[in-house]
Amino acid sequence: MSLQVNVKDLLSNLYHNRGVVELLFGQRDHVTVNELLGRDDITEEQYRKLVSLDILYEYENVVSLNDAVVAMFEDFMEIGEVTPGFINDYINELKRHIRFYQEAREMRFLRSIKKYLKRINTTLTREIIKLQKNVDDTYKNESNYRIKLQKLEDYREKRDTIIEFIRQTTSIVDETRNLFNITNDTELFGIVSALKASLIENLDFLIEIQTDITDFINKIQYQLDVYKKAQRLKEVKDHGTLHYKTNFREVVSNINTLKYNGHKTPKTKIPIDFLYSDDGHVLCKRIAEKYKITRLMVRGLADKMAGNFKDKGLEQQIKLDTEKLVERFLNQSKLNLFEYLMDYKFPKAIGNVTFEERLSLFVEIAMEYQNKLDFKYRLQYHDYEAENKVKKRLGYTLIWPLKEKNKKQQA
Amino acid sequence: MEETNFNLPKQTHEIFAIMARGAFISSNGSRDGMNRLYDVINNPENFDRLQAYFNVIRYNIERGNNFFYFSKLNEPNSELEKKLERFERYIDIIDLFASMDNKIGIGSRFRPSEIAEECNANVRLKQKLQKIPLYRSETLHNKVREICELMSRDSYLELEDEKSESYKVLDSYNYLLDVINSIAIYEEGTSASDDNQAIIYN
Repeated sequence: MSLQVNVKDLLSNLYHNRGVVELLFGQRDHVTVNELLGRDDITEEQYRKLVSLDILYEYENVVSLNDAVVAMFEDFMEIGEVTPGFINDYINELKRHIRFYQEAREMRFLRSIKKYLKRINTTLTREIIKLQKNVDDTYKNESNYRIKLQKLEDYREKRDTIIEFIRQTTSIVDETRNLFNITNDTELFGIVSALKASLIENLDFLIEIQTDITDFINKIQYQLDVYKKAQRLKEVKDHGTLHYKTNFREVVSNINTLKYNGHKTPKTKIPIDFLYSDDGHVLCKRIAEKYKITRLMVRGLADKMAGNFKDKGLEQQIKLDTEKLVERFLNQSKLNLFEYLMDYKFPKAIGNVTFEERLSLFVEIAMEYQNKLDFKYRLQYHDYEAENKVKKRLGYTLIWPLKEKNKKQQA
Repeated sequence: MEETNFNLPKQTHEIFAIMARGAFISSNGSRDGMNRLYDVINNPENFDRLQAYFNVIRYNIERGNNFFYFSKLNEPNSELEKKLERFERYIDIIDLFASMDNKIGIGSRFRPSEIAEECNANVRLKQKLQKIPLYRSETLHNKVREICELMSRDSYLELEDEKSESYKVLDSYNYLLDVINSIAIYEEGTSASDDNQAIIYN
C-alpha cells in the first residue's frame, strides 16, 4: 500500500463502504467508474479517497478491489483459485526451523515449528475444499469444451501436487518424531496428532476428488467422441450411404422408447356422471361454444345458494303446497274440504302423508283461508282405526268452496 | 388404496403421467419437480416396486445414465420409417452441435439466438443449419428455435426461462449420444470406430 494504513483505518474504510466492497467483490471486473458513482452509497470524494488508499484500482474505466482484499475474503470463504504453492513455502519454513531447533533447542524455534505445523494443516484442508468446489464448478459451468478439459487437467495436476505435499509432511513428521519426543511439549503432541489424522482424512478426500475428475473428463471425452462420430455419420449420410454403410437401420429399429414407437398417452373417456356435474357443464359449454351449438348454451349454471338455503327451502315448499292445494280445492265442487284432503294424492316427492298430517292441514286451511271457504256449521262424522286397532269416530265441520253466488251475496 | 397395497411412492401417478407420454425423467430437470421424481425412481426399493407394478400393465422402466424412460414389454417396436426419419434428423442436429465452437453438452444452458448468431458468423455452420429439413422456419433464428422446440418436446431440453428463451440440456441427451455411439460404420475395417469409443483416462 502506498500510504501507511493501520488495521483500524483499513477496517473502518472497508466498513464505511461495505456496500461498494460487496458489489465489487461479487462482480469482479464488471463495474465501471460511472456505474459505481451512479450508486447512492458513494460520492466522488469518497471514491477518490479509496483509490488513494489503494483499496480500489481503476484501469481502463473499470474499477476493481485490491487483490489483497479479494484474497482475504476468498481465504475466509474458502473460494477462489487453488494455490498449493503456499503449502510448499510452509513446508520449507518448517524444515528450516526444525534444523534450527536441532542446532539450538530454543523455545522461539519450537514456537515457529508449531505455527507452521498448524498452518500446513489448515491450508491443506482449505486447498482441498477449494479444489473440490472448483472441479465441480468447472464441470458444471465452463461452457467452452477445450478450456473445460484443460482446467480439469490442471486440477488433476494440482491434486498430485497436494498429494506430494502430504507425503512430504508425513515423512517430516515421522523423521522428527524423536526430536519432538524430547521436547516433552503436550501442545506439540496435540498439533502433530491432529495433523496426522487430518493428513489421512485429506488423502481419502483427494482420492475421491481424483475419481470425480476422471469421471468428469471421461464424460466430456465421451461427448466429444460421440460428437466426432456424429460428424462422420453426417458425412456418410450426405453421401447417401447411411443405410448401406452403417447399421443405422438396425440400431434405430431397436429403439424402444414409447415416443418413437408411436405409443400415445393412454386416453380415457369422460364418465357420463361427470357431465351432469357443474364442472361437466362448464366443459360442455366450452365445447358448445367451440362448435357453435347454441342449444347447449341456453341452460346455465344455477346461482350460488344462500348459506341457510335448507331452512328457507322447506318453509317455502309447504306454503306453496297449501296455496296450490286450496286453489285446486276451490276449483271443484264434488267433495268437501275434509274428504278432499283425505283423498288427495300428494306428489310422490313429499312422501307418505299420514292421517294426522292431513288433519293438521285441514285445520290450517280452515283458519288461514276462511274468507274463501263456505263454512256450513254442520258436523259430519268420519270413522277410522287408530294405531292400536281401536275404532274411533271424528266429527268435522262441513266446508265447501265458496260458490260464485255466495260471493256476490257476501259482497 | 392401491398405493398402500403395493407400497408405492406417492408420486407414482406423476411418474406414470410423464413417462407414459414418452418423455424422459432426467436427474437435472427442474420443471414439475423432475429431479425429485428422478430421486424417487432412483431409490432402489422404489425402483423395484415401481418396476413390478408397471410391468403388470406391460410398461418397463429403462434406466440410462442419469435418466429413466418407459418401454413396452412384449410388443414389437413399430413405425420404423418414422423413426429412421427422426434419427436422421437428429444426426443432422447433433452434427450441427458438434461443429460449434461452444459445444453444447449435458447441463449447458444456451439461447437459440446465441446458436443462430454463431451460425450466422460461420459459413459452414450456416449451411448445415439451412440443410436441416424443418417445416416452417425461414430465418436462422427461427430454425434454431424450431430445433429447440422439437428437442424440448422429446424432453432432451428444458425451457428454463421463457422470457429470455434460455434452454438447459438435460441428462436424457445422453440417450441421443448413446444411440449415435452404438451405430457402427463399416468402412476400412472397424478399427476406427473402436478408437473413438476407447476411454482415454483410466
